[in-house]
Amino acid sequence: MNYTKKEIKKGIKLHILNTDKFKTNLVAIFLTTKLERETVTANALISAVLRRGSNTLKTQEEISKQLEELYGASFDCGIDKTGDNQVLKFYIETVNDTFLPQTNETILKKAIENILDIILNPLIEDNGFKKEYVEQEKNNMKQRIEGRVDNKRRYALDRCIEEMYQGKPFGLYRFGYVEDLKDINEKNLYERYKQLIEQCKIDIFVSGNVNEEVANIIAENQNITNLEEREPIYNQESEKNTVKQGEKIETMDVMQGKLVVGLDVNSQSEDEKYNVMIYNTILGGSANSKIFQNVREKANLAYEASSRYFKYKDNIFINCGIEISNYEKALNLIKKQLEDMKNGNFTEEEVENAKKAIISSIKTIDDEQDTSITYYFGQEMSGNQKSVDEYIERIGKVTKDDVEQVAHKVEINTIYFLRN
Amino acid sequence: MQVIENSKVKETLYLEKLENGLTVMVIPKKGMKKKYMIWGTNYGSNENVFIVPGENTKTEVPNGIAHFLEHKLFEQENGTNSLDTLTALGVDANAFTTNDMTAYLFGCTDNFYPAMDELMDYVQNPYFTDENVEKEKGIIGQEIMMYDDSPDWKVYLNTMQILYHNHPVKIDVVGTIDSISKIDKEILYKCYHTFYNLSNMAIAVCGDFEPEKMLEEIKKRLKENKVEGNIQTFYPEEPDTIVKEKIEQKMEVSRPMYTIGIKVKPTDNPEEMVKRDIAIQILLELLVGKSSRLYKELYNKGIVFGGIGANYEFSENYAHVLISGQSNEPEQVYSKVKEEINRQKQEGISEADFQRIKKKLYGEYVKDYDDVESIANMFLANYFMGINSFEYLNQIDAIDVEYLTQVLNDVFKEEKMVISIVKN
Repeated sequence: MNYTKKEIKKGIKLHILNTDKFKTNLVAIFLTTKLERETVTANALISAVLRRGSNTLKTQEEISKQLEELYGASFDCGIDKTGDNQVLKFYIETVNDTFLPQTNETILKKAIENILDIILNPLIEDNGFKKEYVEQEKNNMKQRIEGRVDNKRRYALDRCIEEMYQGKPFGLYRFGYVEDLKDINEKNLYERYKQLIEQCKIDIFVSGNVNEEVANIIAENQNITNLEEREPIYNQESEKNTVKQGEKIETMDVMQGKLVVGLDVNSQSEDEKYNVMIYNTILGGSANSKIFQNVREKANLAYEASSRYFKYKDNIFINCGIEISNYEKALNLIKKQLEDMKNGNFTEEEVENAKKAIISSIKTIDDEQDTSITYYFGQEMSGNQKSVDEYIERIGKVTKDDVEQVAHKVEINTIYFLRN
Repeated sequence: MQVIENSKVKETLYLEKLENGLTVMVIPKKGMKKKYMIWGTNYGSNENVFIVPGENTKTEVPNGIAHFLEHKLFEQENGTNSLDTLTALGVDANAFTTNDMTAYLFGCTDNFYPAMDELMDYVQNPYFTDENVEKEKGIIGQEIMMYDDSPDWKVYLNTMQILYHNHPVKIDVVGTIDSISKIDKEILYKCYHTFYNLSNMAIAVCGDFEPEKMLEEIKKRLKENKVEGNIQTFYPEEPDTIVKEKIEQKMEVSRPMYTIGIKVKPTDNPEEMVKRDIAIQILLELLVGKSSRLYKELYNKGIVFGGIGANYEFSENYAHVLISGQSNEPEQVYSKVKEEINRQKQEGISEADFQRIKKKLYGEYVKDYDDVESIANMFLANYFMGINSFEYLNQIDAIDVEYLTQVLNDVFKEEKMVISIVKN
């Protein structure tokens, strides 16, 4: 795989991942802006309104039919939090022309035109978005925001994050808030859209068996040439700003208790985060981990028992689904594992095994196009220029001592329990 | 090995049925760093009544036993757990059980052969004790409760309850706290010795491999296998009718979730299975897909948001269509879907719509061939139904409006439809 990056215009970057391993081409466009209470809901809504129709393909039905004609090109959009930024993500995936029955079709070019058209050439009526679309999407967004209680495990994790980052950007829900919706209309949303498009950081990724021409197709596309240069406004640094909450217990109609323990890692540098990855793998990141082994396999308190490291925010979240009456027992076991990590009660072998697992997952980054794109976007956002090989080399250098040092910095921030 | 090429996706399947009964499938993927192996047995939660080879009478086992067995197979006589051993090798190992099959798998970049040693060892060497069986009841008990909190799972299971009178596809794969309490080591061994016979199993491997060499590596690791003869399994008689049309359950959800089910008469002819599957996928796109008339109507009225999920599930002895989503007015969605089916039947299927959806489906089938894990999983699951996955790419050309019309009339019958709702 060959990765190149160039700035088309100030603030707008084109990343090309050239590879012949896949049957498809994947195009991704990311709009990155500051995560802020004032704009979070409107930004999320913009992405929902854009996919309803463009100036060229005016309805969802027309868009869908066009995608179907392109051999099922799949168009997808999502909203993510990346550190203290809100990222509007748009993807279109097409079958590479080599695998199509008729050889004279140029699906990729059309797909690129379509996705740029949807994002940058929206349907405008009377100096605003189409009113009908905005009203419908406000209603849908309300349902989506309210729908977050439907996945209890995810909900418990989100609630723990909200508690830890109360009043801080990272504590915001990525789809925004129901109470904001009533003040949004087709006019002010369009104003926000124009501002967003003028100021945001734009990253365009094209992955697949593509040639030089693709860079020209994009650079010369009218929707791109119409864009102004910009000094993109987004958060390059992620603030360390958790608020210690202690214990937070909430109730809902659940059968099983969902326990989330949020940890502050307190890394001193970007580089130290590689050590934390090993720490997390040993703590709860694999079937051999202390949490899985002790909470699940030895005490049989849970089916799910794991931890995840949020690198941008330098937090670890431990998750378990347990019998409600076992709350204290599970929590004590988790605390014991954190203590054991501090006391160095883990072996060199565990460190080596954790390295193997992480290195294996790094090596497969370029086996999946969306994973590669996420990786290079992460590099872009952290200002880190490590190649995959350097990344592997750095992981390989982590020692038991490094992991112990991490363990001494780790502190419990919030214990969140969802019960009935 | 048998070599089966597909010129459309430019991939090749190497297949061998060994003398001991095991089937080996290798799908080489040049340039991929990830290597993946999955070993499955054609035995899932549906096989609850059977004759143990060598015995004369039927054995009936507790619900959830295939899944329980999957958990316990990792346990080794020397006190280690194979999942730990595999994880220590840096490979990503797992297992799963469905209604129809159980499978053990791992994916990795390095240490493929040591991991293969471990996988092939533990699948061939069960070690169950009273103690290790008891401890698993606590873990699986929490797995059951995790699903109890999942409204999507409940709305699906309830659909099965009213589609099927007797067929075990209506039973939760994991069983219940009560049913798993009846499981002991003797009964686990019985199931193991009946269904984990090589003649009932298949391996699929995908990655940058030399097929013949891979076959030799697999052969080296196989234990001697007693060929036990045919496994006799029994299914209760299942009427063609549904049980009842509606079911509702209360759960804390933001808005109602629904699944519309349509009971379908199964076929055991593999070619017909594939053709029908393709036809139903096309019909579902025409009826409720993103470009459909009905989706547009329901979306614009705010009755549905997001997509409407639609799929067809089948084996040799059960088959059903499922249409699902979230809506404030699930009953309204239900009656609109019924209307739309009737409208399609009356107005006929448009050739232009059909050609467009066919293109979409073709593209989707091609996309199935990029990821080593999904390729191997697909070939394995299809193999147990007698299907070679490439057939989807071949048969799609054989589908025409006439055949679609026939399937529309045979499958989408109002008297075979049910709706399950979960709401506050």
